[in-house]
Amino acid sequence: MVYEVFARKSRGDRLQHIGAVTAPDDELARVYARHIYDEERWFDMWVAPRDRFLEVFNAERATPMGSL
Amino acid sequence: MARSPGETARAHTPVETAAGLRPDVRQALRDLLLVLADSKRLLGFRYAGWILGAPELESGIACAAMAQDEWGHARLTYALLQDFGDDVAALEHARAPHEYACMEVLDREPEDWAGLIALNAFADTALSVQFEALSDCCYLPLRQRTGKLLAEEHYHAAHAGAWARRFLRGQADARARFVERAHAMLPAVLAWFGARSGRGALLAQAGICNGTSDDLRARFRTRVEPLVLLMAPDGVPDDPATADFDEIRRRTRRAPGGGLGHAAPQGDALLVLGAASDDGLAGPDLETIVRVRGDRNRPFLLD
Repeated sequence: MVYEVFARKSRGDRLQHIGAVTAPDDELARVYARHIYDEERWFDMWVAPRDRFLEVFNAERATPMGSL
Repeated sequence: MARSPGETARAHTPVETAAGLRPDVRQALRDLLLVLADSKRLLGFRYAGWILGAPELESGIACAAMAQDEWGHARLTYALLQDFGDDVAALEHARAPHEYACMEVLDREPEDWAGLIALNAFADTALSVQFEALSDCCYLPLRQRTGKLLAEEHYHAAHAGAWARRFLRGQADARARFVERAHAMLPAVLAWFGARSGRGALLAQAGICNGTSDDLRARFRTRVEPLVLLMAPDGVPDDPATADFDEIRRRTRRAPGGGLGHAAPQGDALLVLGAASDDGLAGPDLETIVRVRGDRNRPFLLD
């Protein structure tokens, strides 16, 4: 499963998307993200499974938004 | 004033240099630092062996990060030995295998990923338990170095725990293999903390270490208990006998070539040469030590 990785450098900064890791479960995804994206002194870091992201729209193609 | 063994290390006067320690305490601490430095160095080498060939690219990168951490910890610990009168360059580059004081389970390369994770879970944890016990050491240069080291170890434990749980909750074959590796390794790791009446007691009384060998062994058991419960009913062996234990190198006196935890590869002349020693205390195989010492880079060593 692919997890997207987000982090911010300081408290109050916007969360940045910094990359992705592939891991079999949440626990290893957190471990891998910590080991791989360690070149900066981050304030905090988050991972989320890519397949839990919901597309809102895309400028180049229609994305169904639901209806009545 | 006489101090009871139960007093904490903080009750002892801090010292800035090894010269400020009582001679028997100084020698015991010096030997412990070499055990820790050699073990960190060998553990880093074992992690490095899986940078390529780990089951996932991400776990290979984790091994690279952990190897880098361990070699940093080793370098930092060897550096302390200068204050004890050691030639640090000679320690790092000029010793024979049987002079190494690493944990016995690090003598041989783990034969598979389950073996590497067993080292990650048990050998690395045992080293952290020992370093934690030095975090309020009366010898200040050591006390000041434990904080960052232990912060880095937090992620090693997370890696070990995640992978061990994956094995133990996964397919029967993976589970059986991890349990087999853990059982082969745990008696030597438990023994590594030393005999009850040995140097552990001296270091605790002197305010170097905030627990005796038995205290540290009990802390280790508590630390690995979450995995042990998943291994039940296989569990963890009872505390091993420590009759043949050498307190200086913290290794069992045994016939050469009989490293614990891993089967020795057959037919390798280097292994036989490397493991042999006069005092019955085997060490890592010579091929490992040649690489750890950096023999091939010797012409490039700078003064």
